[in-house]
Amino acid sequence: MSHAHTPGNGGAEHPAAPTVDEITDFEVLEIAVRELAIEHGLFTAEDHRRFTEWAESIGPAAGSRLVAKAWVDPAFKERVLKDAVKACKEIGIDWAEPTGFGTPSDYMNLRVLEDTPTLHHVIVCTLCSCYPRPLLGMSPEWYRTTNYRRRLVRWPRQVLAEFGLVLPPEVEIRVEDSNQKCRFMVLPVRPAGTENWTEEQLAEIVTRDCMIGVALPRPGRTADVHPMHRARRPVGSSRD
Amino acid sequence: MSENKELANTRYALLEALRSEDQTWNTLAPRYGVTNPNPPWKTSLIATCECLAVSGALPVLERRAAEDELAESAYADVPEPERQLLALAHTMLSRGLISESDLSARMRAIRSRLEAV
Repeated sequence: MSHAHTPGNGGAEHPAAPTVDEITDFEVLEIAVRELAIEHGLFTAEDHRRFTEWAESIGPAAGSRLVAKAWVDPAFKERVLKDAVKACKEIGIDWAEPTGFGTPSDYMNLRVLEDTPTLHHVIVCTLCSCYPRPLLGMSPEWYRTTNYRRRLVRWPRQVLAEFGLVLPPEVEIRVEDSNQKCRFMVLPVRPAGTENWTEEQLAEIVTRDCMIGVALPRPGRTADVHPMHRARRPVGSSRD
Repeated sequence: MSENKELANTRYALLEALRSEDQTWNTLAPRYGVTNPNPPWKTSLIATCECLAVSGALPVLERRAAEDELAESAYADVPEPERQLLALAHTMLSRGLISESDLSARMRAIRSRLEAV
C-alpha cells in the first residue's frame, strides 16, 4: 500500500489516530449482541454501564502498590498473607465492587503467595482464565490460551524459560491453579539494589508478569514483554 | 462435554461470513496507524459477558468452556478478541438466547445507524 492511499494519513507524518476510520462488522456484532440481550431482559443497560466502567478502571497498578507496600511494611505483609481481601482495602481495592458480592469472575477469596529465594510461585487457571482482576486488571491474552494453561502445570520450568525466566534447579517452582473459589497472586522477592527506594519507585518494577510469576522484578525493568506462544509441544518432545 | 462438541460442530452463516472477513483489529489497527492493542468495543464485550454471568443467563464456566471448544474448532483461525466475540454470539445462538434472524436484522439496523450522517 502506498503512503498516498493510507487512510487518514495522506502520506504525511501524523500521530497515531485514536481509532480506525472504519465501521467493522465485529463492532456492529458487539453492539447487536448487547442490545438484543438487554431487550430480552438478560441484563439491564445500567448493569452493562456499571461493568464497563469497572472494566475500564482496573489494571495491574493496584497489585504493584500492594507488593511495594508489603516490601517496606512487614506488618502490612503479614496482613496480606493472613487475609488478602481485607488487606486490599488498605490500598483502596474493594473486592466487593462493583456488585457488592464480588464480580461473577472474581470471587472474594484471594491468597497472596510469598516467594522466597528458594521457592518461586506462578499462577494459572487450567480450567478457564480465573485471574485476580481487582488487583491485576484484565488477564493478558497468553494467560487465557490453552497452550499456557495445559503446559505450565506439566512443564513449569520450561514454560517459564520461554518467558525468559530461567530459574536454577535449587529453586522449587510451585504452580497454583486458580479456580472458581479462589484467586492467587504472587508476592515476589524484593530484588537487591532497591534499598532505600520509596514505595512508588518499588511499584514501578512490580509489573503484571511479576505478580503472575512469569518474570522477576529487578531495577530498570518496568514493562512486560509480550511473548508469542505458538508451540503446541514442549521442546524436546517426540514431535519436535 | 458432548454439548460443547455439538456446539463446535454447528455453523451459523451469519458468523461464518464475519469469520472470513479481514476486519480484525490486528489487520485494521496498523492500517490506520492505531497503537491501541485492543479495539474500542473490547471492554463492552467483557461487560456483556459479566452481565450474562450475573444474571445467570450464561454462567462464566459454561461460557469459557464453550469459548475453548470454539477456539479450537469453528474460530481457530480468528485472533482475539474477535474470536471471543464470535464465540459469545455463537454460544448465545446455540442456547436460544438470541436468534440468527434477529441478530442479522439488528446488525443491519445498527450499521445503518452508525453510518448515518
